[in-house]
Amino acid sequence: MDIKDILFDLSALDSIGYLHFAADYAEKVLSRFAKTERLGGSVTGTIKGNSDYTIMLDAHIDQVGMIVTDVDSEGFLTVAPSGGIDIRALPSREVTVHGRKNIPAVFCSTPPHLSSGETVYDDINKIKLDTGLGKNAADIVSPGDYVTFSALPVSLSGDLVSGRSFDDRAGVACLLKTAEMLSGKDLPCNVVFLFSDAEELGMRGAVTAAFSTAPDEAVAVDVSFGNGIGIPPEECGKLKGGAMIGFAPTLDSAVSKKLTKIAEDNGIKYQTEVMGGRTGTNADVIGVSGSGVKTCTVSIPLRNMHTEVETLSISDLESVCNLLYGYILSGGVRND
Amino acid sequence: MTDFLKELCALNAVSGDEKAVRDYIISKIDGKADWHTDNLGNILVFKKGKKRSVKKLLIDAHMDEVGFIISSVTADGFLKFQTVGGINTAAIMFRQVKIGNVNGVVCGTPIHLLSGDEKKKLPKSDSLYIDIGAESREEALKLVSLGDRAVMCSEYREMGNKIKAKAIDDRAGCAILLSLITNDSDYDFYASFSVQEEVGLRGAKTAAFAADPDAAIVLEATTAADIADVDETHRVCVLGNGPAVSFMDRATVYDREYYRAALESGIKCQPKSAVAGGNNSGAIHLSRGGVRTVAISVPCRYIHSSSCVADKEDIKNAERLAKYMLAGICGGTVK
Repeated sequence: MDIKDILFDLSALDSIGYLHFAADYAEKVLSRFAKTERLGGSVTGTIKGNSDYTIMLDAHIDQVGMIVTDVDSEGFLTVAPSGGIDIRALPSREVTVHGRKNIPAVFCSTPPHLSSGETVYDDINKIKLDTGLGKNAADIVSPGDYVTFSALPVSLSGDLVSGRSFDDRAGVACLLKTAEMLSGKDLPCNVVFLFSDAEELGMRGAVTAAFSTAPDEAVAVDVSFGNGIGIPPEECGKLKGGAMIGFAPTLDSAVSKKLTKIAEDNGIKYQTEVMGGRTGTNADVIGVSGSGVKTCTVSIPLRNMHTEVETLSISDLESVCNLLYGYILSGGVRND
Repeated sequence: MTDFLKELCALNAVSGDEKAVRDYIISKIDGKADWHTDNLGNILVFKKGKKRSVKKLLIDAHMDEVGFIISSVTADGFLKFQTVGGINTAAIMFRQVKIGNVNGVVCGTPIHLLSGDEKKKLPKSDSLYIDIGAESREEALKLVSLGDRAVMCSEYREMGNKIKAKAIDDRAGCAILLSLITNDSDYDFYASFSVQEEVGLRGAKTAAFAADPDAAIVLEATTAADIADVDETHRVCVLGNGPAVSFMDRATVYDREYYRAALESGIKCQPKSAVAGGNNSGAIHLSRGGVRTVAISVPCRYIHSSSCVADKEDIKNAERLAKYMLAGICGGTVK
């Protein structure tokens, strides 16, 4: 499988709220390599190994978006964020409204003759969404319908790609590729792949799925801030710098060190991501699931997070796959 | 006409780099009218009609659109740009752009890393950069050159009886004018597809000088503020109420008789109810000894963004009104 193709396919599909198109796709691909199961909006897949020790690899399947809260008589919608949205960039942006059918819509922008001074973007309720359908909008759209960004992914120069929902379809793509690499191999432990729902709304999918699967160890694979404009280099990862291995008080330092050793021993590009407390990823909730899980993060550096131009390097995805592959073959920290 | 519009909106022609639109238009009018291009890149057209005209009429639409010009490249390969024409920063942030065939994105600081107040205010447009994936200045300059134009990417889409596309300002005017030229005309008329409107009505100035007309019709798109939370007095014009006809804007005081004749034509149209904006009329009505000018504008929401929204019926009515004014001015019934 070509990991870029998987990422682009996943980016074009929606998984938010009751929409599960990306999850359906991921389950179908994963089922070629693992025994899959659905847990609500989440997907799990298991490859059995030669022991009862289980390592879970997690990536969240959901995406940021918006949800319709009101439909007015002129066809304008009010929306609320579903996950963290930069509302300053909404005016004049085209999105897709998932009503009785999918329709395009454009966020209103105030024309210059009506704006005086600097606009303050403090309330998404003030930025209405134009369906262009006038009073007919109510026939198609209802409160509770989801709204998603609509840009399709594109290739930039080098091996950079840009698109929506790479947070965390990039992680999902890495896990699918890793599943393919591990498929048919003699494994020292069980591997559970988890594509968890509702991370953007407080890691809810990982809470229940981690409890259900009760692994011994887990690695949460998510995106993290990559170098770019307006970010101090010491506060972010570097695109093309390799997999970001997490070190944090909330993470298991033996797993962090083992991941680092695997990367060193196998010539896999990596960088270290140190966090002072919680990680802001599913690792935070997986670690304290049940009677506790030894948990670490492996992150993909990404620019423009939570926009439809999330940008990353394919080479970093390959580093992540190689690292996870090596880690599973090592059997984790069980015998260390 | 709708096919013209769809195809024209897909072309990229930021001011001063109108070649793609110019080539398209020439391919459509060649053989149907006499044409030549001038030193600025305007297309100047003479359309022979069935009858001679009592007045020399020029009909203008501009080919250029707003966008960006690449002004420098940082050491780590990000492109700095200036806006060409007026574009709101909100419309630029985190958008896909194209520089020729090169894909790029306008990058910025993710919302997670901004402090409370920073989250509520737009950055200055000169703090935004385009990321094309290059890692160094040298690498970037292999793909783009300083002075290259960039546009925001946007597909033509239907939204009920409306359309959404980039550059409806002024591909709507170009599409209508193409339709007038490629179909039979009752009267002789002159036409200009002009360059550089968005940077100060520059193409129209030389086009009008060359054509030396008695009267002019300017086909445009104009801002419509008929959106949520804007009261009726501030809406300028309303989608679905027909083309807007101007009495005055920031560049022109329009010919009173032509303005009245348009409103009384019986074709669905509306006065542009604000003294705001401006168009090529500003250059044309002051050309040589003065030109009697009327502007017929397609109402357009979110103008100068990648998501202009206009009403299909308004565009058809703009064409009908243009034909009516053409016949009236050239035939002598509109005095």
